[in-house]
Amino acid sequence: MNFIESFRQNFIEADRWKYLADGLGTTLLITLLAVTIGMLLGFFVAVIRATYLRTGRFRIADWFCRLYLTVIRGTPVVVQLLIIYFVIFASVPISKTFVAVIAFGINSGAYVAEIVRGGIMAIDTGQLEAGRSLGLNYSRTMIYIILPQALKNVLPALANEAIVLLKETSVAGYIAIADLTKGGDIIRSQTFSAFLPLLAVAVIYLVMVVVLTKLVGLLEGRLAANDRR
Amino acid sequence: MLTRKIASVFSALALSAALLLTGCGGVPENTVHSVTDLEGKMIGVQLGTTGDTLAGDIKGATVEKYNKAADGVQALKLGKIDAVIVDLETAKAFVEKNDDIQILDEEFADEEYAIAIKLDNTALQSEINGALAALESDGTLRNIKKNYEGDEKGQHPYEVKTDVDRSRGTLVMATNAEFPPYEERQGDQIVGFDVDMMNTVCDYLGYELQIEDMAFDSVIPAVQSGKADVGVAGLSVTPDREKNVLFSDNYAVTHQVIIVRK
Repeated sequence: MNFIESFRQNFIEADRWKYLADGLGTTLLITLLAVTIGMLLGFFVAVIRATYLRTGRFRIADWFCRLYLTVIRGTPVVVQLLIIYFVIFASVPISKTFVAVIAFGINSGAYVAEIVRGGIMAIDTGQLEAGRSLGLNYSRTMIYIILPQALKNVLPALANEAIVLLKETSVAGYIAIADLTKGGDIIRSQTFSAFLPLLAVAVIYLVMVVVLTKLVGLLEGRLAANDRR
Repeated sequence: MLTRKIASVFSALALSAALLLTGCGGVPENTVHSVTDLEGKMIGVQLGTTGDTLAGDIKGATVEKYNKAADGVQALKLGKIDAVIVDLETAKAFVEKNDDIQILDEEFADEEYAIAIKLDNTALQSEINGALAALESDGTLRNIKKNYEGDEKGQHPYEVKTDVDRSRGTLVMATNAEFPPYEERQGDQIVGFDVDMMNTVCDYLGYELQIEDMAFDSVIPAVQSGKADVGVAGLSVTPDREKNVLFSDNYAVTHQVIIVRK
């Protein structure tokens, strides 16, 4: 079977390209929402952990945060996804996409938390002391002085986490979500050819990651503008 | 002050998680009593199976394509889907282990299981057909069948022969060990009707059998690409599949059935 014929069979015939297009939409939706949840959760946990380590406050909350980090980073995301689908939301009629968003969001949050905490801890304590001596309270110092500097430093690592998350959503097929990877699998199961569906899926992921990297690069450039004085 | 507030938020979260874990809210009543009831319903299938194809033709139905039929059954039991379409013998194996599901009497058309072989390998195809015919006529295959269904279940296990010359080399069999009673994992072994049958075939022809477990939708590509010599995974002969692999003579007749909640 020549290339054109195989291309026609895998993508054109029976509108099979739609599996990839719909799957791409689902993958993007899950990634976008999960990244959002992960970032919010991660920043929240990071601030609690950093505050505890710097000031000794939030001892109990810090304990919960460490428990969260241990459990989430200590278990594979596929297992977490299956637990959330088959155990936690066992008899709750709930959209599978929502389950995936929650699972990947909670998972990503743990990694984001440690990245951001590293960023906060890397800011000299002199910055905190300066803020406090200027009359800002702790949370204002955190929001207006520490976090902006920390964010700039951890941006490459956060972008990396988003890229990992985007590709990690490929296991969503385990709970019968028709994401991009599953879309390719469905085509493979109908045409029995491995080469083109897998290649197409790989290329689409690659393009998404390249675009994402480019966007983060632009953002980094913008944030670095005030460094070159 | 703030510490206590945050702590209480956390314990509230933990409490609600615990509540969810215990599972409030019941499983919905079964609404599927016949094939026509399937219209517009959520149907679970295993990706790439004939059940998948059949479900795709049902009007307005949402087809949930699981990687394993067992995951579909689990989702059915939890009320996430309304029905599962799967091969009869496998359905029986599931129903035997779960007393809250049942098989509907209404059935789909007959299908034939056969061994998949690479398209150009007609030599192996005729060898296997010869072996199947010989083993059928001397009663070996009938004996194996008795071991997996009927009253004498488990009483006729096939012992791999030790006195066979296996100088012809290895025959690699691609399968998906998620499909009882045809193939399933027991400990570190893959067992089932297909495995026993291929053992008799290899004993007869003088091959060493090597089993490769993989996803069901990878079985045919594995045969096509030469990663496996044969695909034996309760594969029904369909026109689509026949375009991509050769099939041996059929070794079993079955049909798809619908599993629903009781």
